[in-house]
Amino acid sequence: MAVARIRNFSIVAHIDHGKSTLADRLLALTGTMDAKKAVDQVLDSMDLERERGITIKAHTVRLLYRARDGHEYTLNLIDTPGHVDFSYEVSRALAACEGALLIIDAAQGIEAQTLANYYLAHEAKLAIIPVINKIDLPAADVEGTREQITEELELDGHEALAISAKHGTGVPEVLEAIVARIPPPVGDPDAPLKALVFDSYYDSYLGVVVYVRLIDGRVRSGTRIAFMSNGRTYEVHQIGVLTPGLTPVEELSAGGVGYLTASVKRVADAKVGDTITEAVRPATEAIPGYRDAKPMVFAGLYPIEDTDYEALRDALEKLRLNDPAFTFEPETSLALGYGFRCGFLGMLHMEIVQERLERHYGLSLIVTSPSVQYRLLTTAGEVLEVDNPSKLPTPDKIEEMEEPYVGASIFVPTEFMTAIYRLAQEKRGEHRSLEYLGGKRVHIRFDFPLAEIVVDFYDKLKSISKGYASFDYEFSGFRLAELVKLDILLNGDPVDALSIIVHRDKAYEKGKALVEKLRQVIPRQLFEVAIQAAIGSRVIARETVKAMGKNVTAKCYGGDITRKRKLLERQKEGKKRMKQVGKVEVPQEAFLSVLKS
Amino acid sequence: MLADRRPVTASLGAYIHAPFCAKRCGYCAFNTAPWEPAAMARYVRAVMREMDLAGTVAWTPDVPVHSIFLGGGTPSLLAADDMSAILDRLRRRFRVLHDAEITVECNPESVTRVKLEAYRRAGVNRISLGVQAVDDQVLERLGRLHGAAAARAAFDAAREAGFGNVSVDLMYGLPGVERDDWRHGVETVLAWAPEHLSAYGLSLDPGSLWGASGVDGLPAEDAVVAQYWTLVSMARDHGFEHYEVSNYARPGYRSRHNLTYWRRGEYLAFGPGAAGFVADVRWANVKPVPRYCSETEAGRLPVDTCERLTDRQALAERLILGLRVADGVPASWLEERATGDGQLRTRIDWWQARGLLVFDNDRVRLTEEGYLLSDALFIDLL
Ligand SMILES: Nc1nc2c(ncn2[C@@H]2O[C@H](COP(=O)(O)OP(=O)(O)O)[C@@H](O)[C@H]2O)c(=O)[nH]1
Ligand code: SF4
Repeated sequence: MAVARIRNFSIVAHIDHGKSTLADRLLALTGTMDAKKAVDQVLDSMDLERERGITIKAHTVRLLYRARDGHEYTLNLIDTPGHVDFSYEVSRALAACEGALLIIDAAQGIEAQTLANYYLAHEAKLAIIPVINKIDLPAADVEGTREQITEELELDGHEALAISAKHGTGVPEVLEAIVARIPPPVGDPDAPLKALVFDSYYDSYLGVVVYVRLIDGRVRSGTRIAFMSNGRTYEVHQIGVLTPGLTPVEELSAGGVGYLTASVKRVADAKVGDTITEAVRPATEAIPGYRDAKPMVFAGLYPIEDTDYEALRDALEKLRLNDPAFTFEPETSLALGYGFRCGFLGMLHMEIVQERLERHYGLSLIVTSPSVQYRLLTTAGEVLEVDNPSKLPTPDKIEEMEEPYVGASIFVPTEFMTAIYRLAQEKRGEHRSLEYLGGKRVHIRFDFPLAEIVVDFYDKLKSISKGYASFDYEFSGFRLAELVKLDILLNGDPVDALSIIVHRDKAYEKGKALVEKLRQVIPRQLFEVAIQAAIGSRVIARETVKAMGKNVTAKCYGGDITRKRKLLERQKEGKKRMKQVGKVEVPQEAFLSVLKS
Repeated sequence: MLADRRPVTASLGAYIHAPFCAKRCGYCAFNTAPWEPAAMARYVRAVMREMDLAGTVAWTPDVPVHSIFLGGGTPSLLAADDMSAILDRLRRRFRVLHDAEITVECNPESVTRVKLEAYRRAGVNRISLGVQAVDDQVLERLGRLHGAAAARAAFDAAREAGFGNVSVDLMYGLPGVERDDWRHGVETVLAWAPEHLSAYGLSLDPGSLWGASGVDGLPAEDAVVAQYWTLVSMARDHGFEHYEVSNYARPGYRSRHNLTYWRRGEYLAFGPGAAGFVADVRWANVKPVPRYCSETEAGRLPVDTCERLTDRQALAERLILGLRVADGVPASWLEERATGDGQLRTRIDWWQARGLLVFDNDRVRLTEEGYLLSDALFIDLL
């Protein structure tokens, strides 16, 4: 396939503007698969993703399209993940493309993620084709949307395509525009191999399947390749294209997109953003932009049943095969026993990992309150990184403490500005800049302590802005902060897994909220349970769970003992989701309530 | 299934379920059906047929029956002739001991002296009267068809009919019942001098109207607990033994039939939804009355579910049933269950420390405070 007949593109959009619908249309129109199957299979193919309406993995499919000029083109659609936690993956997927379709809902106009995605595509120097979708809707305002595009994006609104992905109107023109307006890749098939890894996953038969975009050179089965980040070399077994199933081909060459397998054992050895080259004739430099996805949030994962520890480790190892962005190492807790300290990109990532462990591996888990990684200088002059509050040295041993900060970008309609500033203040945000975009929209930058935004910031932001705000952030460095460790005591005994590190000014408020929340989630037990929040030896808040007053089945229905036993068995099942901490049975939610309070 | 299992104990109980009620009470989660004469007639034939079918099993002539309990529904809706026919049939097919305890649950509005006399002639020797409360407003709220006066009249009728063993059912924790109302209710009923008293705390069970819709005016847990203690002390003052979580009896009047359940004795079961237990098998009949009838009419035992218990389940049952009774269970049973279960041992220590569980010689039992929290322990014992 001549490079001139290849187009690599992605579709980006604000959620619900019609990205999936259009993708399905493009597949159907090019006969890649029948439309019904497409809907079921193509985008969001993992159940978790579908349920949450997010895309975690980049999905890729090759379309063969005979254009009106009579030539057949290879169009590689590289779909991107859609959540702030995964913005690095997005940037790598975009780096594999030359162009992007930017979908805009004709009735909604430009929205938060439209802008955020536009900026990403722009930064990746892609040819951007604005596509106004849903023109069939009565509320569609095509002209208004064109103006918005001209005003708010550095694009010409008049060049936007107007389509209805739902009805198919204008979709053939989209294919033509891809051919006409997105440049073909530039690359030299005879130069040394240089291929960008933009995704990879583990398959139990094939080993790691690596999605690649070839910049230069060619690769065939038998080629000896090397990963430039770690120097590991492998022999290629299979190469192919994504249709979207794996379809082997003879060769992939410069400009092409496809997959390869090479007995790579762990996804961690074929990381997104890495460059693959030829072992015997390596490229002189790697593709820029690679970075190790670094976990930002840390939490302990403990099996409820101690006997599940091994099973948990196996499951974590298996998961990690497919998800090198998350890390784990063994840790112990006085309260919870043996478990693992895990690092995640963000809270969503953490929830996904937890759900996978529980659903696919049938484990019942306790997740401790998440923490960011703090940096501190001890009085002995040592620098420590602490991601587990219970590992924090006592205050007398700490010279100074720093917390991680992020630079955050928020795009929001002006009417929500006040609410956003209020939220930012609540979260210890520092205002950096404010920029008006076409009168109705602003771009605000804040610096935030990472700890303040990892948990529920995104949700809060969405809710106060009725979903209009977009949000992205980047680690910006450490800053000195007045931080204290807040301990939770149950019947006088500190529960290490419930400790958190908070800003001194917020400790009191946080402690009160926390004990109150715990009072609600800890069920009544045989004994009264005193819940206290303390800083050092000073108790700052207290609540009590009264002892259980009555728990009895008065009557057995005409000797129906089975019924009674089943009822008790069900309650016992419920109790299995609790962890015995000293004398107190603490339910799973209690540990997470630390976040939600 | 009955055919290839032989009872392991010396004698059996027999439970007969009579499902019909004139009206369904708000809190009721029993297997009931609206009362209609035709359905009743069909049921009576069916239940006797079921006895015939069960009675063909080889061991039935050998194993004596020591107690019969007619529960419901409202068994006292059975005409005296039907009652007599059913009990006769059971006697004909099984070896009912001549001194067997034969109890009928009666709703006050459905009995008269004449009817009760006839029941007595049919062999009934114990009446369990569903009084529930002695406040007309409360009774109406529960959806009961009798008032306080009718309850009293029914009790007197039972006495006049010659019953020397009468039990009264009461409910505590009812909506709108304050502490003093409850005290008054208990006092009233104790003044009638029944031989036996059952007091059930109201629970909103799934399957009941209130379970689905909820109900206003429920007393707080503290108040319910206080009612329990009021009853405990008043019953004691009147010479009753608190011999099971919800049951009180004058000496010599513990219910043999109910004790069969708690001691994990075996019992036969007849009627729709009735649950039986023989050897290692617990079974239950089909619940809907029409289907129950058609099964029996077709000559099939109307068994719906059937479960063989493992040794572990059997042990758990022995414990959770036996601990409901004042005598408790041999300490060795608990020991057997706790072997190798450190967590359970710790719990048992806590129970003891809190005075909920006591070891007495080589038995272990719950205290009256322990009864109140018994399910919490039972969960651990499963
Ligand atoms: N009326 C109309 N609805 C559309 C059109 N395109 C997509 N939709 C609907 O918009 C909703 C979101 O579309 P979807 O493709 O899932 O959006 P995504 O979140 O961007 O992938 C779905 O209910 C689609 O049926 C269109 O052209 N016209
Ligand atoms: S009388 Fe008894 S069985 Fe009948 S509806 Fe009322 S509570 Fe239920």
